[in-house]
Amino acid sequence: MILLIGLNHKTAPLAVREKLFAGCEEKQNLLSDVLLLPAVQEVLYISTCNRIELVCVADGEDKTIEALKRFLAQNGSLTDEEAFYCLYVYREAEAIRHMFRVAASLDSQVMGEAQILGQVKEAYRQALKQNATGLVLNRLMHRSFRTAKRVRTETAIAANPVSVSFAAVELAKKIFGSLSGKKILLIGAGEMAELTGTHLIGNGAEEITVANRSSAQGTALAEKFHGKAIMLTDLDAALIEADIVISSTGAAGYVVTAESIRQSMRKRKNRLLFLVDIAVPRDIEPTADSIENVYLYNIDNLQDIVDENMAGRKKEALKAEAIVEEEVILYNSWIKELEAVPTIVSLRSMAEGIVQSELEKSLGWMQKLSEEDREKVDNLVQSVVNKILHAPVAVMKEESSEVSSKGIVDAVRQLFRLDE
Amino acid sequence: MTLFSLEMILFQLALAFCILCTFGYLLSLLIKRVILAKISTWVLAISFCFLTLGLVTVILNTAGLTNLGSRNFLVFFAWAGSGVYLGFQLKTKTRLLGAFISPFILLLMIAAASQEAGKSLLPQNLQSWLTTLHLVFAIIGEALFVLASCAGAMFIIQNSLLKHKKLGKMSRLLPSLSDLDRINHLCLLWGFPLLTIGIIAGAVFAGMVWKTLLPADPKIIWSFAAWVIYGFLLHQRLAIGWKGSRMAFLSCAVFILFLVSFLAVRFYFTTLHDFI
Repeated sequence: MILLIGLNHKTAPLAVREKLFAGCEEKQNLLSDVLLLPAVQEVLYISTCNRIELVCVADGEDKTIEALKRFLAQNGSLTDEEAFYCLYVYREAEAIRHMFRVAASLDSQVMGEAQILGQVKEAYRQALKQNATGLVLNRLMHRSFRTAKRVRTETAIAANPVSVSFAAVELAKKIFGSLSGKKILLIGAGEMAELTGTHLIGNGAEEITVANRSSAQGTALAEKFHGKAIMLTDLDAALIEADIVISSTGAAGYVVTAESIRQSMRKRKNRLLFLVDIAVPRDIEPTADSIENVYLYNIDNLQDIVDENMAGRKKEALKAEAIVEEEVILYNSWIKELEAVPTIVSLRSMAEGIVQSELEKSLGWMQKLSEEDREKVDNLVQSVVNKILHAPVAVMKEESSEVSSKGIVDAVRQLFRLDE
Repeated sequence: MTLFSLEMILFQLALAFCILCTFGYLLSLLIKRVILAKISTWVLAISFCFLTLGLVTVILNTAGLTNLGSRNFLVFFAWAGSGVYLGFQLKTKTRLLGAFISPFILLLMIAAASQEAGKSLLPQNLQSWLTTLHLVFAIIGEALFVLASCAGAMFIIQNSLLKHKKLGKMSRLLPSLSDLDRINHLCLLWGFPLLTIGIIAGAVFAGMVWKTLLPADPKIIWSFAAWVIYGFLLHQRLAIGWKGSRMAFLSCAVFILFLVSFLAVRFYFTTLHDFI
């Protein structure tokens, strides 16, 4: 049986997540410790900033769940209350569904984000390294990756950015096409400006200039980007060079006036200029937007785009849930089929045993036959056995994948006296 | 099979693929999926190949390009238009531009189909390698201006979406402003000298036949005006630095102006170019 126990951003506050995360990270042999618990056969440990989960294959439902809960609670030194309210348990189809949803980023805080799949893959790699997974979890993970891939390609869940800084990058691409060789001017050394700058560089932009009131802070940020720092008084000259300007100072008035932009446009021969004003109160005079070839976006404009994209993702998530459901059904029927496998194997080996012993008994008269004829008799016996076994095996597989293996497997064990 | 029927078959194939790609492009604009525009670009490339083969058979048929009728004039225009567009597709990712240029190409081809082959040919006394030169360069130059205007039209749409902060499906579908401006720039840059060569060839020929470089003919006057205005635009772009929305708007306006005047001259005036 597949079990999934853990907590995430929806069930546990940050403080609890931190405690458990730190506790689990400290543990050197977490996976082998879980495997030492009675009845646990396979295990996988997923930990990200938003979730800590154990996925196990185990027998003995309730006892095992208790043991696993205790294990997590001890590691994270959670109180009984915390463990009770924060930890969730999923069994069988629910656990499968949850795993698929996690991998497909449907359970993430920012739905559709791409990092989670990488983190799940890394968790699987660790488990493989320590030989902690087996037949059931290996397939579960491969199916999770497949589901995630399907969700990414068949729905537009990750198509449009849902963070302000990425929305700015997307806009820059709509204006400039390729960002390679584009020059960025950061006005103010704020965190948001830095983040947006990082994304722009990641998308090919090359030169960064930082203009700041305090030169120490500006220089530090400029060094980080291998750019240069200038004083706010040199802004006009910098505006002529820049293609993308990101402003985020704490100044009370406008740092860049429409007039200064109008003048710089003449000097920059009307090259397109993308202005991002993420400061509140605003740094760039709003009327600058009416200047030809100037595109000014403030924080509200960007937030509107983000909101719209978020709404789009929620719509796409419905399609994604349908894909997850399909995959759960497929995986579940494989799991059920698996329950019939031991019986099928012992049925086949019983038949094989009978064939061997009967052939040995007939060795005396068979020696009179030529080599070729003996082979023919061999084949004949084998094919009779196979034909007889074909129907019960097929029915067992079908029945167990569609309904349950219990009844049919018991019947077969009884009919063929497999347990004697 | 004679060369003439081969020419007809090739033209019909080109027309069929052109209709297909125009539908594809317009549909991709409608359902806002760029993949359809990508496929349509390949369909247009097939149509272009058939047009090229068709033109080769025309040249073999008439032993050179000196005897082009109005039908082949239109076919050649369509060929130049799609060739220039496809050329740009090698360098830029502006597949959606096809949605603007392909209806124009299709109209040219439908117009060509409505003309009987071998009719209203160039009069005997006007056939010369100079008129061929005049025709080829003027048409390629004009095809480039058509593309410049299409890119301009798309720039206007994208610009207005971005200015109104509407980063919706449409804006995501259309190419970036820089790419569109670059196409507008390159088309003017190449179209102008080509048209200049075409006009000079025409003028030299006019000088030889009518003893004047610029006969007082409505079509010639309009074309000359077009040449002057495009020259002015190119000058403003290169020397003054006009870019982006202003250039896009002007090239569209000029194009519409000349399309209207061309049609007016075509139907209400008698000109020296009546065979076109």
